[in-house]
Amino acid sequence: MTMPLELGFVALTDAASLIVAKERGLFDQEGFEVSLHREVSWATIRDKLMAGVFQGAHMLAPLAIASRLGVGSDAADIIAPLSLNAHGAAIGVSAQLASEMDDFSAASLARAVAKRLGRGDPLVRFATVFPYSMHSYMLRYWIASAGLDPDRDIRLVTAPPTAIVERLKSDDIDGFCVGAPWGVVCEERCGAHIALGAGEFWPGGPDKVLGLSGAWAGQEPNAARALLCAIMRAAMWADMAENAEELASLLSSAAYLDVSQERISKRIGRGVNDIRFSRHAASFPWRSHAAWIFSQMLRWGQVDPSVTPERAVECYRPDLFRVAAADVGMSTPLTDSKPEGLYDGPWALPGSQGPIPMSADRIFDGSRFDPDSIRDYAAGFAVTRLSG
Amino acid sequence: MRLLLVDPDPTRASLVAEGLADVRPLDLRRTSCLDERELAEFKPDLIIIACDSPDRDTLESLREATQSNPRPVVMFVDRSEPGLADEAVRAGVAAYIVDGLQPNRVRSILEVAMSRFQLMQQLRADLAKAQSDLAARKTVERAKGLLMKERQVGEEEAYAMLRKLAMNSGRSVSAVAADLLSFHGVLRGDKS
Repeated sequence: MTMPLELGFVALTDAASLIVAKERGLFDQEGFEVSLHREVSWATIRDKLMAGVFQGAHMLAPLAIASRLGVGSDAADIIAPLSLNAHGAAIGVSAQLASEMDDFSAASLARAVAKRLGRGDPLVRFATVFPYSMHSYMLRYWIASAGLDPDRDIRLVTAPPTAIVERLKSDDIDGFCVGAPWGVVCEERCGAHIALGAGEFWPGGPDKVLGLSGAWAGQEPNAARALLCAIMRAAMWADMAENAEELASLLSSAAYLDVSQERISKRIGRGVNDIRFSRHAASFPWRSHAAWIFSQMLRWGQVDPSVTPERAVECYRPDLFRVAAADVGMSTPLTDSKPEGLYDGPWALPGSQGPIPMSADRIFDGSRFDPDSIRDYAAGFAVTRLSG
Repeated sequence: MRLLLVDPDPTRASLVAEGLADVRPLDLRRTSCLDERELAEFKPDLIIIACDSPDRDTLESLREATQSNPRPVVMFVDRSEPGLADEAVRAGVAAYIVDGLQPNRVRSILEVAMSRFQLMQQLRADLAKAQSDLAARKTVERAKGLLMKERQVGEEEAYAMLRKLAMNSGRSVSAVAADLLSFHGVLRGDKS
């Protein structure tokens, strides 16, 4: 007996685990007949998951949490039992804006913004892919680190990756934060310069998750577990250096990313900003990641301060992850959360089947995040909408 | 009431517009891609957007009033009729009402758009099927011709041979015919 499954994705390198599981027969092995549907907007991914058209989808981690909270849509039972990647996103500036900056630091951006304001030029415009995305929070964090207010001193717009490339070419935007491989496409096709990669912003930080219908996972616990196993195996395969070329070739197909293999390859490897799918516990749904995302929702006034953090954090389901990880023989962290931003270099985390090699997790401004004091963290920034 | 229809597919947009021709008073404007300047100038009360439009996320981000868009848009959710938003997504459309509009007229308009989107989907599916049926028939004709030539048999006998092959392998006649043609090509030394 095979079970049909409808899964959605957006054309990005971090959808790799779903594409690999489909193309290499890992879904078949678990008894699924999976149809992967490429969508061009995150709103449609969310709506189809909410309407039950999809049972699961490649999702922006903050979008899964926002949907659960009923922020930006009706509240829906969406859960995130697995992270699909770390890294891949990048902040970039147009060739023109780059020429006005001394280096690619936020402080340098602030000086360029001030000069433009002094000349009476229009506000500097940056595009991200969605209001509830790590791209948006990373860009806002970086801009605010130089004392700029991202809602006042620059103009933030939302556009899908392909439109970001076009708008950059027509000088309609001055900068962007977008996922791989689109940052590379902006560099190569528009002469943009990458200022900060996600791996420099926050090594091992969150990005995309597998969003699942909580109702479906509740009715079909065995299927949900098997689905996670297939995706975990695909993530392990995608992470192996010897498979990098085959992975890039798979993703480049017209049905998936429709971007050249060479461009996709530039973010697959062992570099600081290269994508991780499985290594260093990249697929584990850390509740401290969900807590950090919630802190940024509070910081930027996206959620009402009366919303309790537990409602956001319960979106992440490490319990479901552990059960499936045991089936595939993967060592999993013993805790659901960890303090974030403590390590400058490699370290070892105790795991269910032996220690897990971890990487640095230092946030670029050196700040530390304690998942038990979300509110203080959100209120503690120089630029924040939350008063302490 | 001003309605902005955002659809990258102009044929489908025409079909929706035609369906809404009887709805009065309705000022309908169609666009294949969302332009924020047009949005500010036209000031729609209702925006209907195709789910396969890449501009959906841009529209989502306009919930908060901004300088260029002083009137915030909200996702259309009619709480008195649960399921309508889901139905719309299944049909391939999403609707946004601009703050301040009474939603009582929205349902009838949205229903027209939904049914037209479904009609378009059906037409496209029918067309695709007709095209693939035609291609399959051509393949069978060519395979029949090949058998008639190679085995010196009549048309009916050639077809009977194909049907027997199909029944034995549990596949369709056209699939067997396609295999026969490609195997013949390989044997003849065609570069595939």
